Amino acid sequence: MQTTLAAIAVVTVGYIFAYLLFDRLRDRYGYVGGAEYVIIGFLLGPQVSGLLNAGQVQDLTPIVSLALGWLGMLLGTYFRLPAMALIEGDHLRIAFAEAVATFLAAGAALLAVFRFLAGASWTQAAVQAVTLGAVATLTSPVAVDAVVDRIRSRSRVPPVLQLTARIDALIAVVAFGLVLAVLHQGQVAPGVRPPTPTEWAVINVAVGVASGVLFHLFLGPRGHLDEGRLFVALAGAIVVASGASYYLNLSPIFTNLILGFILVNSGSAHRDVTRLLLSTERPVYLALLLFAGAAWSPGSVDLLFIAPLFVAIRLAARTLGGGLAGLHVAPPELRAPGLGRGLLALGGVGVAIALNYGQVYPDLHPRLILSATLLAVLLFEIVASREAATYVAGLGDPTSMTAPSAAATRT
Amino acid sequence: MIRRLVVLALLVGGAVLLEPLRVPTEGVIAPRSLFLFGILLLTADTFGALAHDLGFPRLVGYLVSGLALGPSAMEIVPPGVLQDLSMMKQLAVGTIALLAGAELRLTDLRQRYRPILWILVCQGVAVLVLLTVGILLFRGWVPFMQDLTPWAVVCVALLFATALTVNSPMVTLALLTETRAEGPVAKTTLGVVLVADVVVVLLFTATFSLAQASLGGATEGALPMLVRLLREVLGSIVAGGVIGGLLTLYLRFVRREMVLFAVVVVFATAAVAQALHFELLLSLLVAGFLVENVAPVRAEPLVHALHLMAVPVFVVFFAMAGAELRVQAFVALWPLVLGAALLRFLGVYGGARAGAAWGGAEPVVRRFAWTGLVSQAGVALGLATIVADRLPRIGVAMQTLIVGVIAFNETVGSVVFRRGLELAGEIRER
Repeated sequence: MQTTLAAIAVVTVGYIFAYLLFDRLRDRYGYVGGAEYVIIGFLLGPQVSGLLNAGQVQDLTPIVSLALGWLGMLLGTYFRLPAMALIEGDHLRIAFAEAVATFLAAGAALLAVFRFLAGASWTQAAVQAVTLGAVATLTSPVAVDAVVDRIRSRSRVPPVLQLTARIDALIAVVAFGLVLAVLHQGQVAPGVRPPTPTEWAVINVAVGVASGVLFHLFLGPRGHLDEGRLFVALAGAIVVASGASYYLNLSPIFTNLILGFILVNSGSAHRDVTRLLLSTERPVYLALLLFAGAAWSPGSVDLLFIAPLFVAIRLAARTLGGGLAGLHVAPPELRAPGLGRGLLALGGVGVAIALNYGQVYPDLHPRLILSATLLAVLLFEIVASREAATYVAGLGDPTSMTAPSAAATRT
Repeated sequence: MIRRLVVLALLVGGAVLLEPLRVPTEGVIAPRSLFLFGILLLTADTFGALAHDLGFPRLVGYLVSGLALGPSAMEIVPPGVLQDLSMMKQLAVGTIALLAGAELRLTDLRQRYRPILWILVCQGVAVLVLLTVGILLFRGWVPFMQDLTPWAVVCVALLFATALTVNSPMVTLALLTETRAEGPVAKTTLGVVLVADVVVVLLFTATFSLAQASLGGATEGALPMLVRLLREVLGSIVAGGVIGGLLTLYLRFVRREMVLFAVVVVFATAAVAQALHFELLLSLLVAGFLVENVAPVRAEPLVHALHLMAVPVFVVFFAMAGAELRVQAFVALWPLVLGAALLRFLGVYGGARAGAAWGGAEPVVRRFAWTGLVSQAGVALGLATIVADRLPRIGVAMQTLIVGVIAFNETVGSVVFRRGLELAGEIRER
């Protein structure tokens, strides 16, 4: 226990140090990333200073599962149906087209890389490709919201950008959750028939749905709890759902996404829940980045070339997906070539997926997956905010965009 | 409420259904522990609400939930899980100590030092005398008092009485936070339990070394032991000063992410305290006190953050405390448990009332201050563990009886204190 306490203390001290060092820069330059926390974690970890040894990092894994669940639940709360019903169909089409195209492009390219360049079997290549494909698809809704709020463009495209970021995250988490269920790892108790892949997928969804329904009932129709008691109830629900997923080698992110989705669409406590989750999102995300930095090690040098390749694939897939959706799926008034430029921010869920992958597939190059993800986080966080800001600022006034088409219609 | 209980039953049923699908994994907190911890949290919250609806303090509900799910009853939360989660308890103790220190105002202490000291001395002496005499009179029925020399009988009786003199800062603070009580009774009681915490630990060390020597098992003399203890206490106070300084710097220059920073401070202090043999509770108590009363910064952000953490922390602490109670062990000793609890109750009541009167306290304090001194919890359990570990011949039997009395006082004491605050008109609960 002492080692765990020391490990937690070291991680949190590292967090404070990083906070002091970089927060002023963030305030001044509008930088929304958290790459510095990865670096601080790396410096604290076994690869550099050894303040956190490998055993201590391992000991923190279950607590990381909680953090993964926390982020998953927050993601689920973005999808409130009454609000989504007001979204224009075109916006949804663009968002889904961008997300699916990016995922398929990245997944296909990565499948080829793992199968033909890394020499993995088809199944292993598929697991790794889907995982990194999911990471490539992700966009940080918080980062996109921050840019849109800051620039305040009057164009109609920024809301599409915000929606796309959410759909990207949804597609990524669902894809990753399903791959963990379908290609499930781990053994069941003796004498019990191992569930089929479909059954694991159903179990995974069922755990999320059951947690969501039970927690909704637990909060009750009024749902009026003070902040402290709501925190206890929420933490209890996330611990139960994450614990169940972790217990079954499934994805706590996916399970809690379903839990969050159900909760935000039922009962009257959704505002309080969302507010509470949003207020804790930042520390959870930063703590995850720190942990990821500490847990990082290069792994097999032979395969490290895949990390920069992944960055290139993500950029290409993002450009392709954004181009396809922004030019070919969008109606004329929403046409936005280069939509992908506004969706480069990766965010904490990517790191969460990479860490979750390492928990479930410890023998299938988890270090490589984490390396690729962290490299992408580091590089994209540097350029994402500026690129997105330039892109949104360049969208201009909606009237100037729609005027030509209106004039064309008249003539 | 019924709906919540049904949900909990379904969760437990779900846990049973998932059991065969489990994968063997290892770690400080096993996956199973994490899942069961969630169930314990939700159950404690539900039982707390139920207790509140019935007019009891919420912490009674937390204790009962832990007891119900713990090894003593349903064993849904086995001992291994509690072991896995013991760091949560460290966080709880540390947070509460920091909050308790920050709640102690120098101005209040200056105003009330006389009644606080008088109550402290009178109730301490009364409890010590009554319990020592009581156990000496009934030593024929007490298992750990058999086959001892007359000198050892006296020393062991004194040790037993000292271990039961301690109050509970945890329960006091939990109730004050829950009820938002404010007034002379709340302030006086908090002052007494916090000062008593330090005094009784010193007293316990002295009587413990006497008992150890009288049993012929002393590994170090009384003086070296006292010196070691004083060093630990002084070290804790110095450590508290350093932590208070760090907190002040943070409050002065950063003042953001206070909840996370408070967690940092608690875990860092816990790690240092374990390594250097300091008292976590005392160190953070001093740190909180210095930030509130001495530091040239406003402590409100820290106090606000600690209050935000307080509810979950109390739930965790008392639910786990309930789960750790081994009811079966002291069922056979129930007449002795009740007898000792009754004697202690009389000592607390008489001593506190007399002390309040001699200290010139307000009438409301004279009438109700004793209600906050009945509870016992963490510190007393810690002393009982020391007895069991270091007095091999009689320690385990003595620990069983002490824990029985603590369990009784932990539950009854919180109810009595809540009632006292209610009658004193100090509860501001919504």
